[in-house]
Amino acid sequence: MSSIGWLLAALFLPLFPFSMVFNRLLARIENTWLRIALLIGWPAAGLSILLATEATPPAWVAHWSVATALLYAFRALTLRDLPLWLGHIATSAWALLWLPIVFGDADTSLAPQLTAFSVPLVLLAWLTGHLEKIFGAAYAGALGGLAIDVPRLAGLLVVVVLAAIGTPLFPGFFALLGMVNDLLPAQPVTAIGVLLVWMLWAWAGMRILQGLVVGASDTRTRSDIGWLHAGALSATLVIFAMGGIWLSGSLV
Amino acid sequence: MNQPMLYLILLPLLAAAGGWLFSSVSRQAGVRISIAGTIATFFVALWALWMALSGAPPTTVAIGSAWGTLTFDPLSSLMAVVISGISLIVHVYSRRYMAGERGYTRFFVLLDLMTAALLLMVSAGDLITLLVAWHLIGVLLYFLLGQEMSNHTSHRYAGWTFLTYRFGDLPLVLAAVLLYQAFDTWSLPAIFAALGEAPDARTVFDLPLAETVGALIALSAFARSAQFLLHTWLPYTMSGPTPVSALMHAGIVNAGGFLINRFAPLFVHTDGVLHWIFIVGLVTAIVGSVLMLAQNDIKKALGYSTMGQMGFMVMECGVGAFSLAVYHLIAHGLFKGTLFLGAGGVIHQARKNDGVPKDDLYTFVVERRPAKQRRPWLLMAAVTLIVPVVILIVAHWLVANDFFQKQGAIVLLFFGWVTGAQLIFAAYRMRTENTRRLLGLILFSFTIVVVGYTLIAHAFDVFLYPDEVFRAQIYASAGIDIFWFDVLVILVTLVVVFGWLITYYAQNNGGRRGLQASAVWRRFYTLVACEFFVAAIYRRLSDALLGAATRLNAMLRWS
Repeated sequence: MSSIGWLLAALFLPLFPFSMVFNRLLARIENTWLRIALLIGWPAAGLSILLATEATPPAWVAHWSVATALLYAFRALTLRDLPLWLGHIATSAWALLWLPIVFGDADTSLAPQLTAFSVPLVLLAWLTGHLEKIFGAAYAGALGGLAIDVPRLAGLLVVVVLAAIGTPLFPGFFALLGMVNDLLPAQPVTAIGVLLVWMLWAWAGMRILQGLVVGASDTRTRSDIGWLHAGALSATLVIFAMGGIWLSGSLV
Repeated sequence: MNQPMLYLILLPLLAAAGGWLFSSVSRQAGVRISIAGTIATFFVALWALWMALSGAPPTTVAIGSAWGTLTFDPLSSLMAVVISGISLIVHVYSRRYMAGERGYTRFFVLLDLMTAALLLMVSAGDLITLLVAWHLIGVLLYFLLGQEMSNHTSHRYAGWTFLTYRFGDLPLVLAAVLLYQAFDTWSLPAIFAALGEAPDARTVFDLPLAETVGALIALSAFARSAQFLLHTWLPYTMSGPTPVSALMHAGIVNAGGFLINRFAPLFVHTDGVLHWIFIVGLVTAIVGSVLMLAQNDIKKALGYSTMGQMGFMVMECGVGAFSLAVYHLIAHGLFKGTLFLGAGGVIHQARKNDGVPKDDLYTFVVERRPAKQRRPWLLMAAVTLIVPVVILIVAHWLVANDFFQKQGAIVLLFFGWVTGAQLIFAAYRMRTENTRRLLGLILFSFTIVVVGYTLIAHAFDVFLYPDEVFRAQIYASAGIDIFWFDVLVILVTLVVVFGWLITYYAQNNGGRRGLQASAVWRRFYTLVACEFFVAAIYRRLSDALLGAATRLNAMLRWS
C-alpha cells in the first residue's frame, strides 16, 4: 500500500493528528443530516481503503491507535458541547478499529465492530439536532434538567449515550470484549489500553449526562419529542441491541 | 428445576415492562404490577430453593448459543431467595415512601430491572452472562441512586459509585478473557472442570493462571463490596432514596462475597490470593468500624457499618470460610435492610420531633453517668476474657470436634472472642440497677447467638459445598505455615489484651492523661474525622485529571 493510501486510511479511520480534520469538520457542520452523513461516510471510506488492500500495517500502528483512542476519550471528559463530545467519542472508537487490522481478523470482525460503534453515534447526532432545534444549543451545564423539561427526549438521550459507551446489552460491549479477547494473549498491554478507553468512555458519558439531564427545570414549557419519533428511535435501539446480541457470537 | 429458574429472570423483566405500560393508565396500577411480579419472583425463588434442598442436582439452561447460560445450584437458588426477598420488602416499603416523588414509575421499573440483573448475576452459568449482569448492576444502581433528577449532589455521588463499579468491572473482564484463552470456553462448569485437570496452567507473562485470575476476581469483588481504598462510594451515596440505600446495603454490596463463592473451584487452586483477601478484609473491617464511630449522621454511620461488615465477609472468604461468608451476607443483608428502612422512619420522626427522651440510654450516652453498681474489675476482666472463648469453643465442638486443626476456624473463633469480650466489657460499663441480671442476660443471648450462628454456618457449609474433600481443599488453600500462624495469634492476643488495659486505664484516668498522649489522640481523631483523607485524595486526583483534560482541549483547539 502506498504512503498516500496509508495517510488516507489514517485520515478516515482517524489517528491523531489526522483526527483533528474530522473533528474540526464535524464542529463546523450545523445541519443534522450532514453530520449523520459524515458519521456514516467518514469511517466507511476509511474501512473501504483498508479492505481494498491486503497489506498489514506495522505493529506500532496499534500503539498509535490506542494512544489516539485514549487521548480522545480523556479529552471527552471535560467537553460540554454535545456535537464535540460525540465527535471525540467517534474518533476514539474508530481509532480502535486499527487493532483488528493490525492483529486480528479484519475481514470478518471489522464491519460489525464499525456498526457497533457508529450506530449510537448516528442516533446521538440526530438527538443533538433535535436538542439544538428546541433549545438553540446542546451545551451541558447551560442546558440542564432535560429529565424534567423533556423526559422522553432525555430518556432516549440516556439510552443512546449508554449504547455509545459500550454498555451491555448494546453491541459496543461485545465489540470491546471481542477486542480485548483477541488482543490479550499476544498484546496484554494494548488490551489493558482498550480497557482504559472503556473506563474513560464511561466517565465521559456519565459527565455529559449529568450536565444535560440532571438539574432543576427552567420552568419554560418545551415541546418534548413526539411519540412517533420516540417510538421509532426506541424501536431502532431495541433492534440494534437485539442485533448486537445476535452478532455477539462473532464479536466475542 | 430449570423452568422455575428461568421464570426468575423473566418475571422481574415482565414486571418492569408491565409496570411501565400500565403506569400510563394509573401510577398505582403500574406499581401494583411491579409488586405482584416481585411477589411471584419470590415464590418461584422459594420453590427453587426447596428443590435444591430436596437434593435436585445442579443443572444448566442455555438460552443462547455463545452465551446466556443459567446455572442452578444451591448457591444460585439460595441467593435468589435473598435477592427477591429483599427486593420485595423494598418494593412494598417504597410504594408509600416514594409516593410523592417525581419519577415514581421510573423508580419501580428500575427496581425490577435491578432485581432481574441481580438474579441473572447469581445464576450466570458462563462468563459473558456474568459480565453482562455485573456491568448492568453498576449502570442500574447509578440511575437508582440518582433517582431525584433535579439533585446534582446525589448524581455526583451516584457517578462516583458508577466509576468505582466500572473500575471493578474491568478486572473481571480480564479474568474472563484469561480463562477463555486458557480453556477455549466461556462455560463456568467447563472452566472449573478444565482447571481441576490443569491447576498449574500458565497465562500471559508466564504467570500462574489460577493465581492471576483469582487476584483479578478479588479486585472486582473489592470494588463491589467497598473494601478499603475502594470504599469511598459507599458512605457518600446517602443522598439517594432510603429504599435504594436499603437495597444497596442489603443486597448489591454483597456481590463481592457471592463472586468469590462462585469462583470457589478456582480459589482452591490458589496459594497466596486468599491471604491477601484476608488482609484486605481485615483492614476494611477495622477502618470501617473506626470511621463509623466518628459519624453523627445515622445513614453515613450505617454506611461505614456496612463497610466494616463487608470487611468481615471478605475476611471470612480469606480464611476459607466461604459458606460462612454467604451466611454473613444474608444475615447482614436482612438486618441492614431493616435498619435502613427504619432509619428512614427515624429521620422522618426526628424532623417532626427533635426531643431526645431522657431514658436510661440518654443518661448513659449523653450525660455519661457511671454505673451505679460495679463488680470487682479483675473478676470482670477475667469474665470478658474467658466466657466468650468457652462459649465459642463449645459451640464449634458441637459441629466439628477437630476444629482446632483448622486455621480458618481459629481465626473466626478469635474474632468471635473479641466481639464477645467487647460486649461484656460494655455491659460492665453500663448504668444499671442490677449488673448481675444484665450480665446474665447478655451471656445467655450471646450463647444463643453463637451456638445458633455456628450451627447455621455449618448447615450452610454442608448445603453449599456438600463435598467434604472440596471443603477441606478450600481451608487448605487459605492456610499458612503453622509456626507463623501461632506467632500471629499470640501477637494479636497480646495486642487485644493490651488494648483492654489501655481502655480501662483511660476510663479511670480520663482527666489525667499526659499532654503528649492528648496531642496524639487529637491527631488520630482528626485523621478519623477526615476519613483518613482517602476521599479528599481521590477528589484532588480527579480534579487534576479533569483540569489536564481541559488544558489539553484548549491547547488542541477542541479538535
